[in-house]
Amino acid sequence: MDTKEYILKNLRKNVRETYDMPDLSFRKRTYDNPVDAFIETTTTTAGAKLMEIKAGDDINQKIREAYPDAKIIASNIPGIEASLNPDSVAEAQELEKTDVGVIKGEVACAENGCVWIPQTMKEKAICFISECLVILVSRQNIVSNMHEAYERIQFNEYGFGTFISGPSKTADIEQSLVYGAQAARDVTIFLTD
Amino acid sequence: MSTKHSIAAEKFIQNSERVTRHDQTFWSVRSKRDALAYELDEWENLREAASNIKKHTVTHLADYLEQFEQNATRNGAIVHWAKDAEEYNQIVWSILRQHEVRKVVKSKSMLTEECHLNDHLIGNGIDVVETDLGERILQLMELAPSHIVMPAIHITREQVAECFRQKGIIAEHGAHAAEGILPEGEDYTQSSDPTFLTRAARYHLRDNFMTAECGMTGANFGIAETGDIVVCTNEGNADMSTSVPKLHIVSMGIEKLIPNYEAMGVFQRLLARHGTGQATTVYTSHFRGPRPGGEMHIILVDNGRSSILGNEEHWQTLKCMRCGACMNTCPVYRRSGGYSYTYFIPGPIGINLGMLKNPDEHYHNLSACSLCCSCDNVCPVKVDLSSQIYRWRQNLDGMHHSDAIKKAMSKGMKILFEHPSLYVTSLKFAPLVNVMPKCLTDIRLNGWAYGHTMPVFAKKSFHEIWKKQLKSENV
Repeated sequence: MDTKEYILKNLRKNVRETYDMPDLSFRKRTYDNPVDAFIETTTTTAGAKLMEIKAGDDINQKIREAYPDAKIIASNIPGIEASLNPDSVAEAQELEKTDVGVIKGEVACAENGCVWIPQTMKEKAICFISECLVILVSRQNIVSNMHEAYERIQFNEYGFGTFISGPSKTADIEQSLVYGAQAARDVTIFLTD
Repeated sequence: MSTKHSIAAEKFIQNSERVTRHDQTFWSVRSKRDALAYELDEWENLREAASNIKKHTVTHLADYLEQFEQNATRNGAIVHWAKDAEEYNQIVWSILRQHEVRKVVKSKSMLTEECHLNDHLIGNGIDVVETDLGERILQLMELAPSHIVMPAIHITREQVAECFRQKGIIAEHGAHAAEGILPEGEDYTQSSDPTFLTRAARYHLRDNFMTAECGMTGANFGIAETGDIVVCTNEGNADMSTSVPKLHIVSMGIEKLIPNYEAMGVFQRLLARHGTGQATTVYTSHFRGPRPGGEMHIILVDNGRSSILGNEEHWQTLKCMRCGACMNTCPVYRRSGGYSYTYFIPGPIGINLGMLKNPDEHYHNLSACSLCCSCDNVCPVKVDLSSQIYRWRQNLDGMHHSDAIKKAMSKGMKILFEHPSLYVTSLKFAPLVNVMPKCLTDIRLNGWAYGHTMPVFAKKSFHEIWKKQLKSENV
């Protein structure tokens, strides 16, 4: 008997009583104004920065405002002035020198600051390897809680997506909170219309 | 007779400063969890739902595993099955050999600890680099984790600095790491500033991410309906490990499976809130297939889990999602540290999992419980941890592991309680103990006198006072 057969047979043999999937329709926390709640969460507990982008604002100008010292910007978003493109680099390693990566989020969640970022580029390393990250997300796409977020998220042929709530952090040395563990050490959310 | 836990704990508590720090660290995590719990009206609904989803999933696990395999395969992943640690290690090794891998970057996985994967790979000449900061510190110090979520929390910043100096990390990356972090002119080679040390580790690990041919991750959840593997981290190390190397190997215990996204919403909200007292981990990453030009392997590991399902009293340990909340709250864990336990997972869940793994080796940990039941009340999936420990204890005598002295005492007390006249007479003479010399009562044989002084017996027993009172009231 091969291993798979053995495991499945053993599992089926060992079940004594079965249980139904529970009803999950209980009331969940929602916000009257999810946008305000998202801004609050993002800029406090999540440790990120946030800029509200108005119609007519020059996004490239805003990126320079947020990160004036940045030399290498990476992005594949049309209209973003970038010297590196995650679609056209030969290997992920080439993105390592990125100062600011600019990426797009599809759904944002007010209760914890998570932003859903589906992979829309050949090298997803841009989402993690960049020293600093700018995430564009529309205020139209903010939901209250993770239940609502999971109802909305979509996958594409790349087969990867991640919720990011802020800069990479660790408290592994004596519980001291340090931003900038292995991935982006600074994150700014650009809240667009 | 003392258990291995109590002997090791006794050593741990010799350093009272360390015990206080350890205790307060985990209590602060517990307090943060409480604050988040009070914020959500649906907190108890979520716990109940999580428990019931897990009960449902593990009692339909064979069906869900088949569904998961189908979907993951359709997504382009290669699914393997391992019945035990040996088969699992063999599968990993054969994938690595096939790809001529020399270096593996690894994100934290308790399953690989359970199966001793690192030893196996290192023995075969593979350079294995742990990438979670705490795990990396422990790996460099050649130590095991002392907690499943905060593995190196017992190490001081000075010890980390010393280790980084010894391993050449400070010499190689210190100057870069000090930029903008330490005041100019400060001798970074002697610094134990946590931000500086974290930055040095960042550059050290970057080098490894860039040169590894394979990234390995665990799985916090597998989703049957979509074939997703979900990995949650704060550092982003699982993502770094899988964004640069083309080969991704996932190791997942079969009990980590959940049915669908609706369930995932429940668990995402509970995991970080319980484990570290945060509303979310920074990254919640869904892997649904290999990256362009890459390969993704998922190894489904049994290693005793399918048999635990058949254990009427302990099958619900399979609901555990390894958040660590039961350790954070446990008064014994907080004051005795992770290394006092004989099993690699400490705390209430570790006591139970150790017993399921090998009772003769791990019954020692059963003494590490005061039956305060705090763990039952914080567990996000409602595993009845302390009741399970209680049940194991009832079976110790049958396993010939009961404490001979306590057994004799219990027999004595049984005789005493079954014979009221003998009980009353004994009580009358009990105050005699008060005037006995200490050298007679404070002996190792008298377990009650060890670690604290003997109580003073009252001159009159409650029994006597009560009877007198009844008489005077003429009832």
